[in-house]
Amino acid sequence: MDTVVQIIVSGLTLGAMYAASAIGLSLVWGAMGVLNMAHGALLTIGGYASYSAVLQLGLPWYLGLPAAMIVSFVVGLAIYHIIFRFMYRHPAFETNVIIATVGLAIFLEQVTLLIYGAYPFPQPFSIEEGFYVSSVFVRFQNVLILILAVVTMLLVAALLSRTRMGRAIRATALNREAAQLMGVNVGRVFAQVMGIAGVVAAVSGVMLSSITTLAPTMGYDPMLKAFIICVIAGLGNVPGALVAAFVLGLFEAVVQFAVGVRFGFPALLALVIVALIWRPYGVFGRRQVRRV
Amino acid sequence: MIIRRRGTRREEGARKRFLESRRNFMKGAGLAGFGAAAMTSGLLADINDGARAEGEPIPVGGCVPLTGWAAADGLSFKSGLELACEEINLMGGILGRPLAPVFEDSKEQGADNIIPAMQRLIDRHEVHAIINGYNTGAVTAEYDTIADAGVPYLHHNTDIVHHETVGSDPELYFSNFMADPAEYWYGEGFMKFISDLNDTGKWEAPNRKVAIVTGSQNYSVVIANAMRDSAEKYGWEISLYETVVVPISEWGPTLQKIRNDPPAAIAITHWVPQDLAQFMMQFVPNPTPSLVYMQYGPLLAAFREIGKEATNGVLFATVVGALQDEIGQDYFQRFNSKFGESASPLTGSQPYDSCHYWAIAAAMAGGTGAPGEFEQNEKVCDRIRRNIYRGVQGATAFVLPYQAARTYPTETRDPSLGMPHQFLQVHNHLEQGKLIAPEPYETAAFQIPPWISG
Repeated sequence: MDTVVQIIVSGLTLGAMYAASAIGLSLVWGAMGVLNMAHGALLTIGGYASYSAVLQLGLPWYLGLPAAMIVSFVVGLAIYHIIFRFMYRHPAFETNVIIATVGLAIFLEQVTLLIYGAYPFPQPFSIEEGFYVSSVFVRFQNVLILILAVVTMLLVAALLSRTRMGRAIRATALNREAAQLMGVNVGRVFAQVMGIAGVVAAVSGVMLSSITTLAPTMGYDPMLKAFIICVIAGLGNVPGALVAAFVLGLFEAVVQFAVGVRFGFPALLALVIVALIWRPYGVFGRRQVRRV
Repeated sequence: MIIRRRGTRREEGARKRFLESRRNFMKGAGLAGFGAAAMTSGLLADINDGARAEGEPIPVGGCVPLTGWAAADGLSFKSGLELACEEINLMGGILGRPLAPVFEDSKEQGADNIIPAMQRLIDRHEVHAIINGYNTGAVTAEYDTIADAGVPYLHHNTDIVHHETVGSDPELYFSNFMADPAEYWYGEGFMKFISDLNDTGKWEAPNRKVAIVTGSQNYSVVIANAMRDSAEKYGWEISLYETVVVPISEWGPTLQKIRNDPPAAIAITHWVPQDLAQFMMQFVPNPTPSLVYMQYGPLLAAFREIGKEATNGVLFATVVGALQDEIGQDYFQRFNSKFGESASPLTGSQPYDSCHYWAIAAAMAGGTGAPGEFEQNEKVCDRIRRNIYRGVQGATAFVLPYQAARTYPTETRDPSLGMPHQFLQVHNHLEQGKLIAPEPYETAAFQIPPWISG
């Protein structure tokens, strides 16, 4: 019984971490056709912003998250104004932006390293208490991550489906030229998406660093996992990414226990390959259609 | 081709004084001949015989990770070498020539970072020695660069591959020294340590099982394999051998396997402090009555800062690090007063001790050698091989032919002939770990971990 509970708890924890990482990446991918390779760096900035707000500015721990959201929102907008604004009209935008964001990720990582050093800091936005399910200890923090991942996804979905801004984003995602002809300011839509992606990344960064740690390279692994989740869910499918994250998290936990921890990630990749052979546009994806 | 410069008149004077001084020292101390022990750096001042460090500076290289994942340690290595050079210069440098440390960044420590950095130290800075902490990625690929230049290279890579490389051609790699024991010794040393705890009644093992959890890096795997291979010799059996992919923060499946078959001891050879802290935070709420040993990570304060109370009772070890005895405490004070309380003297001691060791050897050999000056560098390296140095990390003595530091007590039972394999335990997460073994260096007693004692 304990074993089953432990695997479910571990699987949900992994799934929540993957979901938290994947939502922002999926949003940008779906809305702009941009594989934002600096997404991991945005997570990192969010995590460190919370740390600085609490431990350097002396704010209460619970204000770490809003502080991180503000900082990452500004950084997201800055990325648009410094890089994307000059690139998105070019026909090769979707390819060029991958290279540009790889460079940006390296730059942001080095800036983080210069400011904070390589020393791993604990995230102050963290709840250490927990409760037992059978004999398995579950931290409130893990539950909070799970809830926040779901809530963030619901908020992003509501924003996209129920607001004027969301309609403009969806219109741009479906057909940029047609949206432009209908009076949508595509540049502003891109800026809005990057701002929202920054906010979502901040939530992810604070949550992830609360059960891992703060380090300049902390965004690499979540970025990789988020990429896999987005591919298997279908490019830009935010609700699909959430479901895929939890399914893959549970699958990985089962493999880790039954076969061996080192086989968890390879098995996950094997599952992705099988899924893509079966559904080339992702399990929840549709041919030639971008959804947000 | 590098042509040796002629010494200045001041250097020649210092060299003459050195020769007279050395004759007097050897005669007086009765230490001439093989195995002569260079006990302290005071020896260097004696050899310099009052010479002031005013001659042409001797460039000393440090190839250290100033950026990248190991930058925190890299800065400590840089500080350690700077402090050593400063102290040596106060003692007259090497025969009146001051040391001038220069650094190149080994970044992420891949061979593609390390070899060009070493080459720059040799070609651009013409260093007379390269003295490092650790660089993990080259796996002796840089040894050929050193072999071409011939300058002494003292590092702390803690890598068993060094034995094979240098042992395969000691003549070619005559100037490559690993100034700490290989990581292999962590494995057997751990088995001996828990056996000693059990045999002396300090701890009563509930069974003879050990669970080993390793990361996927070569360093972790070598140690885990050494534990597995030496377990039988000490009467232990391996109940679990699990390899985890790093980074890892969710330890649930691994912990469940451990709980399903509780061992007497859990040994984790993965070394990243934040991952290890997460293990303890998930282990302590539902523990097994097992000792927990972790590799390297608990040496860093980040482990205790992240894991807090859950880290109390954790065992860890290092085959190289500053001791907590009088010599070590004095060094800690000097290091922290120069670099601040947040500086890390524990790892800075690696290049610190090796720089002193090399400086004494060079002074005894009649001076340093630039790249390409093989004859002089041979003399310096010969002195390094013959000397035994008692520094802040204990005794450094090289095992031939592979020129790696001997470990105590697993490889020798004489503490004056080997670098202590230090076992430490977190007694209070707000303080550094306490040194609990080996004798005679221990400063505190082993404590039964709180999750066992209740």
